[in-house]
Amino acid sequence: MSCENVQERISLLLDRKLPARERESMLAHIGACRACGTRFEMMQNQVAMVRGLDQPAIPPQLAARLSVLASHECERTLARASLLARLQCWAARVDLAFDNLMRPVALPFTGGVLSTLLIFTLLVPSLSFSHDIRGREFYTAPAGKMVTNPWDQVADADDDFPRIETPTTAPSDYYNVVDMKIDETGRVVDWSVVRGELTPDMKSIIMLGRFQPATEFGVPTQGTIRVVQSCASATVRG
Amino acid sequence: MATSILDLRSDRASEGAAADNLRLVEGLRTGAGWAYEELIALFQQPVYALAMRLLDDPAESSDVVQEVFLKVFRNIGNFHGKSTLRTWIYRITVNEAHNARRWFFRHRRREVELDSDPEEARNWKEIIPDNGRTPYDVVLDSEQRAAIEAALGRISPIFREAVVLRDITDLSYEEIAAVLAVSLGTVKSRILRGREALREELAGSLKPRPALRLMPETAEKMS
Repeated sequence: MSCENVQERISLLLDRKLPARERESMLAHIGACRACGTRFEMMQNQVAMVRGLDQPAIPPQLAARLSVLASHECERTLARASLLARLQCWAARVDLAFDNLMRPVALPFTGGVLSTLLIFTLLVPSLSFSHDIRGREFYTAPAGKMVTNPWDQVADADDDFPRIETPTTAPSDYYNVVDMKIDETGRVVDWSVVRGELTPDMKSIIMLGRFQPATEFGVPTQGTIRVVQSCASATVRG
Repeated sequence: MATSILDLRSDRASEGAAADNLRLVEGLRTGAGWAYEELIALFQQPVYALAMRLLDDPAESSDVVQEVFLKVFRNIGNFHGKSTLRTWIYRITVNEAHNARRWFFRHRRREVELDSDPEEARNWKEIIPDNGRTPYDVVLDSEQRAAIEAALGRISPIFREAVVLRDITDLSYEEIAAVLAVSLGTVKSRILRGREALREELAGSLKPRPALRLMPETAEKMS
């Protein structure tokens, strides 16, 4: 290897960019040749000196200007973002503004709602209508007392007039017996002949009679009564 | 093929750096504030140092650094990851320094600085001496440093770029090729020529001055 070749490759040798075999031959030549050895040593020192140069420190003013520049460019990038990102940004801003707006109102609003609930809870029992059930039966079967009766004047005096009994009583063979279903308004809604026949008086009661309805826990409800009339009176009348 | 532990470590380190680069680039694209701060913190010092070595002018270097970061921020969408982020930023820096140098030679060549004394331009940190070294060492080092910097400034800008990127910025040959957009062979050639040119400049500037000698005739005249 000639001195010219070696000196052209000194730079590559310093940067370890030569193959191992070529490197060894170069180092052998440098060890043997005084001129190339001196050249190599000088180049080595020079590279070391250049590498040992101090890094110039960045001026504080420039660092501050770069920070400002970065901040402006960041804002600019956000402003030029896609439509979706812009909408999201605006939505976030509106959300934040709404939050900031509602925050002063939030405490009085919550206090108002809670106090309203408290007052309502306390007042509701007193607002409900009390049911005075003292002295009343929980269930009252239709007592048979007619509210409206075209024969009021004769009802008590005439024994032949139909009378009302409880459905549990056993019917007698000499009587016409009809069970009537009374609704909560006191009117007859259904009837069935238990014994005998349906007399005209019974028909009048079905069509015109009004009864005091049965009650359950103080509330009017349906009930059943049994109307009894003697067969003889029915025959006479008929 | 056997793989050494050092190779594995360097591979892992490069993978980690690539992942960091990717994260940083994504942050810059989405306008994340932390990404902008991180980029500035990572690269402001190396970019300024490179610009200073290429231009040897603090004011001009400051302008170049600002231009570089402006271009990085605005063109981050064009960075496709074909090279590393560092290589890309250095490439912009070299191009900007090249543009600034051309502009300087066209427009400001004849301007004269009012504050031409470098000692006055220094700040107090540079003036306070380092007590750990002898004044002789300090003077010698500062002279050598000044000589190298002056020699770097005198060599051709094309060679200077290659030498600075290799010996000061410590880039690999491949990275230098990517930064300068030239082939690997051209990089090798430029580094060699640059170092040779620097050696010649230093050989001229570091020549020993003639020692002070007493001249006999002078002594006779004085007597």
